[in-house]
Parts: sequence; C-alpha cells; structure tokens
Amino acid sequence: MDVKIIKEIVDMRTVDEAAKEILEKAIAEGVETAWDRLEAQQPQCGFGQLGVCCNRCAMGPCRISPFDDEGPKRGVCGATADTIVARNLLDDLLVGAAAHSDHGREIVEVLLKTAEGKSQGYEILDVEKLKSLAGEYGIATDGRSKEDIAKDLALAMLEEFGTIKNRIQFAETRPPEKTREMWRKAGIVPRSVDREIVEAAHRVHMGVDADYVNILLHALRTSLSDGWGGSMMATEISDVLFGTPKPVEAYVNLGVLKKDMVNIILHGHNPVLSMMIVKAASDPSLIEYARSKGAAGINLAGMCCTGNEILMRQGVPIAGNMLNQELAIATGAVEAMIIDYQCIFPSITFTASCYHTKIISTSEKAKIPGAIHMEFHPETALDTAKEIIKLAIDNFPNRNPERVKIPSKPIKMMAGFSYEVIKQALGGSFKPLIDAIASGKIKGAVGVVGCNNPKVKQDYNHVTLAKELIKRNILVVETGCAAIASGKAGLLLPEAADLAGDGLASVVRSLGIPPVLHMGSCVDCSRILVLLADIAKEMGVAISDLPAAGAAPEWYSQKAISIGAYFVASGVFTVLGLPPKILGSPNVTKLLTEGVEGVVGGKFAVEPDPVKAADLIEAHIEKKRKALGI
Amino acid sequence: MKTVFVHPERCIGCRHCEIACAVEHSESKDLFGALFEEPRPAPRIHVELGVDFMTFPNKCRHCEPAPCMEVCPTGALYRDEETGSVLVNYDKCIACAMCAMVCPFDIISFKKVWHINFLKTVNYKCDHCVDRQRQGKEPACVEACKTGALVFGEVNDIIRSSRRDFTLRTTKALQGEEAPELPEGIAAFREIMKKVARLGPLG
Repeated sequence: MDVKIIKEIVDMRTVDEAAKEILEKAIAEGVETAWDRLEAQQPQCGFGQLGVCCNRCAMGPCRISPFDDEGPKRGVCGATADTIVARNLLDDLLVGAAAHSDHGREIVEVLLKTAEGKSQGYEILDVEKLKSLAGEYGIATDGRSKEDIAKDLALAMLEEFGTIKNRIQFAETRPPEKTREMWRKAGIVPRSVDREIVEAAHRVHMGVDADYVNILLHALRTSLSDGWGGSMMATEISDVLFGTPKPVEAYVNLGVLKKDMVNIILHGHNPVLSMMIVKAASDPSLIEYARSKGAAGINLAGMCCTGNEILMRQGVPIAGNMLNQELAIATGAVEAMIIDYQCIFPSITFTASCYHTKIISTSEKAKIPGAIHMEFHPETALDTAKEIIKLAIDNFPNRNPERVKIPSKPIKMMAGFSYEVIKQALGGSFKPLIDAIASGKIKGAVGVVGCNNPKVKQDYNHVTLAKELIKRNILVVETGCAAIASGKAGLLLPEAADLAGDGLASVVRSLGIPPVLHMGSCVDCSRILVLLADIAKEMGVAISDLPAAGAAPEWYSQKAISIGAYFVASGVFTVLGLPPKILGSPNVTKLLTEGVEGVVGGKFAVEPDPVKAADLIEAHIEKKRKALGI
Repeated sequence: MKTVFVHPERCIGCRHCEIACAVEHSESKDLFGALFEEPRPAPRIHVELGVDFMTFPNKCRHCEPAPCMEVCPTGALYRDEETGSVLVNYDKCIACAMCAMVCPFDIISFKKVWHINFLKTVNYKCDHCVDRQRQGKEPACVEACKTGALVFGEVNDIIRSSRRDFTLRTTKALQGEEAPELPEGIAAFREIMKKVARLGPLG
C-alpha cells in the first residue's frame, strides 16, 4: 500500500504518536488489527446496536422493529422492546460486575493464603491499611499479628460474596447517609456481591422480570455491589498486599520497549501474578541468564490495567492501553506477553504468530488457543514467575532484528494518586480542596475513565475531554485506559498545569501535582467513589450534590457499563462517548437519561464529541455549584 | 411490474436480507444445510456501509431496457416475461463481465453456482426470486426485512403510499403537530452515530 495512504489511515485511527509508527509498520507488514476487524464487520446489525435483539432462548432469536408501522413489536414470548432492551442491558452489566468482583475475590483469596502462610512470595505490605480495614469490619487488631488480622479480614470479605447478612460492609458505612437514604427508598442497597449478579442472571430468564423499571433498578443494585463491593475489595486488598500507591514517575507508550533487552509485556487486569513477575525480574541469576543469551537485561512493561497496577506501585513503565496490545507485538521486539484476564484480544496469539513473540496465559479461566499455558497459583507464584521469565529469555535469540521497530520517544508521566495520597497532599483533610472549590479556583472534579474503542480515534476523546476540562478549571481524576491515554499525551505531569485554567493551575502548582491525576486501574474507580463520598460527608451533602461528574469517552466493555451504572447510582452525572445499546427503547433511554436522576441523583448522557461533552459537564457542575450556593 | 423498493432511511444494517437471499439460492434452501454446501451460497443483495454508518441494500433493479442484456455477447441474459425480471442462463454465461461493466448499480459479480455442474464462474446476480413469485410469495430479502426498508410491489403503488405519508406529515407540521419521519429512538441513534462516524476511523 502507498505510504501516503497508510499515513492517512493511521491518522484516522489514533492520536498516539508512538502507536502511529507501529501501526504503519503493521499495515505495511499485513498484520491485522482491531481496526481492520471493525471495518470487516461493517455494517453492524442495527437491531443489536439498538438493543432490540433477544437471543436468549430457543423460541428466538427475536427482534423488535424500531419502526412503529412495520415489523414485529413483541418477541415470541411476548417481550416488548422495553423488556428486551432492559434485559440486555442488565445482562451486559452483570457480566461487567462479575468480571470486577471475581477479580476482587481472587485478590482476597491471595490475602487469605498469605495470612495462612500458604502463598509464595507475597507479604502483607500495608499493615496500616490492613488495620484500618479490619476496624471497618469490626475485627479486633490490638495485640494481634498481621497474619491473624488478615485472615479474619479475608474471611469476612469472602463471606460477603455470598453473605446471608444481606449487607456489604463498605456499602453500609462508606457512602454519605444522604446517598444511602436514596438507595433505601429505591430498594437498591446491595445485599451481597454474588447474590445480585446471580439474581440478575435469573431475572433475564424468559418469564421472570418483564418490567423495565424493575429490571433497571436491579441493574443499579448489581452495579453497587460491584463498585462498593467487589471492585472496592479488589482495590483495598491489592493495597494491603502490594502497598497503597504513592506518586511515582515512569514512562509510557510503545517507546518503553528496549532494543537490547528481553522485553516482557504484562497484560490484563489482576496484579497477583504480575507483581510476582516484577519481583522475580530483579533476581540476579535471571538477569545473568538474560546476559548469557545476548541481552543487556530484562525489561518489563505493562499493558492495560495490569500495567496500571504495577505502574502505580513499582513504577514499571507502561506500553499502552487496550488498542496498543497488538501494536506492542508488531514492534517485533517483544519476547513474551504474559496475560491474566479481561480485555485481551482472543486473536492475540494470531498476531504473535506473525513474529517471534510467545503469549503466555496464566489463569485457568482465560486460556487462548495458541498460547503457552503456565498456570498461576498463589502457592507457587514466585516459581511460576521465574519459569515464565526464563521462557521469555530463551526466546530472545529468536528475535529478528531486521523486523524490530521501537518508537523513539517514551513520555514521562506520574501515577499513584490513591485516595490516601490525595488526602495527604491536601494536609490530611479535604477542607483545602473544598475551599478551593468554594472559592471557584477549582470549579469541580470529573472522573474520566473507561476503555479504548476502535469506533473512536484512539485516545482522541480521552485526551480532548481531559484538556477541555482542565482548561475550564475542572480537576480530572482518571483510571484505566483513560489514564494511560492522558499519560501518553503528557497530561499526567505537573507541567501540564500550563494547559489548565488559572485557578486550577495555581492549586495544582502549589501542591506540585498534575492537573490530571492517575488514580489507578479500572477496579480503582472505587477509589473515586471513596473520594467523592468523603468530600460529600465533610460537606454534609449527598454525592449527587457535589459539583462532580463522570465520563467514559471511549468505552467498549460490559465492565464499563457496570462502572457507569454505579457512578450514576451513587449520584454522579455520567457522560458516555458511545451510545449503550438502549436506543431501541425510548422508555429505557428516557429513564436512564432523565428519570433516574429523581431516584438516585445521577443520570447518563451520551455525547460522542468530547468538546460538547465538556460543555455538558461544565453546565452540570455550574448547576450543582449554584444549588450549593457557591 | 413488481419491484423490490428500497427505503434507505429504514435500513439499519442488520443484513437479514443477505442471509435470507443466500439461503434462498442454496441447494438445500436451509440455513444449516447451506453452511455445508459447496460451492457455498452467497447473497445477491449487498448491504454496505456508506457515510455516517448509513447503509443501502443494493441489488439488481431489473432495468427495462437492461444495459446488461444489451451488451451480453452470448445472450445469457434474458427477460422473464411473466415477472419482467432479468435472469441469467448460467449455461450460456462466459463470465466476460461486459454486463458488470455497464451495470448502473455495480451489483454484478461472478462465482460458481450449484445450479450448473461446471467449474466455471457465472454472473450470479439477483433473480428476483422468480420461483417464489410464481408461488405468490415475496422475494426472500423482502420477507426477511423487519423494518420495512425493503418493500415488494408495483412501484407506483409504493410511491403513492409514500406520497400519502409525506402529505400527512406536512399537513401535521403545518397544524403544529409533531410529525417526525423517523421514530424517536432511531432519530437519536442516527444523530449520535453521525457524530461517532465523523470523529472516528469509519467516517
């Protein structure tokens, strides 16, 4: 293909300059990527996009015509567009909640095994956080060993996955009372983590819930069991095991790969194995082994949220977000990509087969044909980590230097702004932040989160929205692919204050922090909830009273639906950059973009244009400021 | 003559018509059977992406006079007098592609078909489901279309009906009543997807 045409295609696909270089290479070498597959899928079925396709039972599949005067209006079972759309949304949401919460469960299980002395390589790093969590769960700490406390805490949390107490501890005490009061009135206080998910799966069966309002209320409850349950446990116990993140400098984009070193990419979401890989990679005998194979050393780089987890705790450089995964392989410089789960393209082994890269799957629940499966268990974690690194080193001599291209300019960034760090930076209380908001120096705060989606130019919506918001003196906190996008664009540096409005710039300069804060991985959206809750508590209001909002400008996954729903259910106005599959039911659309605000204080909006999304958010923040009298 | 009339504003890109067409022109006339046939049946109607995620189901319009018939050197293309459809005699077709060159809609392509026992490829364009028409049925694509994007009938009847709708909407609007051409959900969907298309790689 003509070089000029390739450049035009690449400019339409991404704004990540390092990714552009490799995408050009991939196209020239005929390596297929998600963008090609999206094109091959066009046109995509309108029934599916509108949410009016039901493929649940064997009387179907059914679809409802979105045109009033033509085509079927009910499925074979009699379900209307409202019922089908609401059921499909609940189905997507429960999958997302399950993904987050199952991840959380695995982390807590590692804590239990560590407390029992049955794990290998792990330790209880943040004892202060362990004790504070134990306090929340009513577990005695005085005079007890950290292992004893950890065991009780792990068991108490694991019990909440299937509890018969009908309560989740964090959801009871962490949200402001005014927010919880709305949940109680709506009947959506989560009762356990697994129960809401199982009940959601029950409700979407034929002949169970047909009332779209009732279905959507349960969707909100299920999402709360994720945000204030499974995800929050994942965050908190990851901190206990691996340390609560603190500000750390690192580099980001595909340029973090090294020409002369064994490059290992850690891709997925769960840090339990990747943290052991980080530990093992500093083993002198393995470094020596790498040298014996002609490499200068071992270079680890993260990808997606596993990348975020090891970035914010160990400063491991991060190669990119979701749409960078195939491009990392297309550099020709990756010896091994180690995957755990979530957001890993099933075709990743096909991509790897074009190069020397080995894909190593590690979770029993996430195998990919063509991958080498080296199953991870906490009991043998460090041994497995070392074996995997050795396999990567053994693959170094197979690299073809003629096919290697590594972008030259990795970007510097700061990560690790956990709730605790933000509070500490403010001097131990949120009062200075509240004062800055009251004085108008900072107008409000927005959580920009979520994925990449090839329907949107990669990172463009994330970066444009973040820039627009800080320009308008709105503080931005980010997680997931959104945070990585901002890192690549240079927004996660104190110097980015130059792009902020005067008020916000003066505040972040005085604190020495960036105007866009990297708060972690996608389960760490729970950190945003705690931050909002504590600010609201200090002000004596509900979360929905705060001049705050959420945004998922490039979302694609069911997990993002769950996050968006728990933001909304917690009282946050949330703007999506792509439409959820609900437009086939004007009733469902109206409820989620209007009616739900009267129930929980938050609501959704859809706006693909990031500048217009910033307008919506600013207007919302101004409205909330006015209501607060500031 | 009856025709398959397209209301492009109603096409939502589901491609049911493509599947139904391929099945109808398979040997088994059965979805699951068609998957195991060799040559594999293919649709003769094509739903492709235009701008702003809009689609248009494109197929043979059975022109009168038909440019393809006029240029065919072997007389493989002929008109079915009963339905007015332009049909292909696969035995006579030599795949010279003259018909494809003059087709105003670019819907002629070539592949092997089960109907003849040769290894050659032939023009396998839409046959207007003449077999179904003889049984009093609509073409398979029209039957499969659940949004009314494909309608089968006398062209003037269909246009008359559309014209009546237009008059109704216009007079409603003059009376200050809401008279949207598209339902609320579809209108919102089109508007959002237009923005997505213009900002993203598929624009």
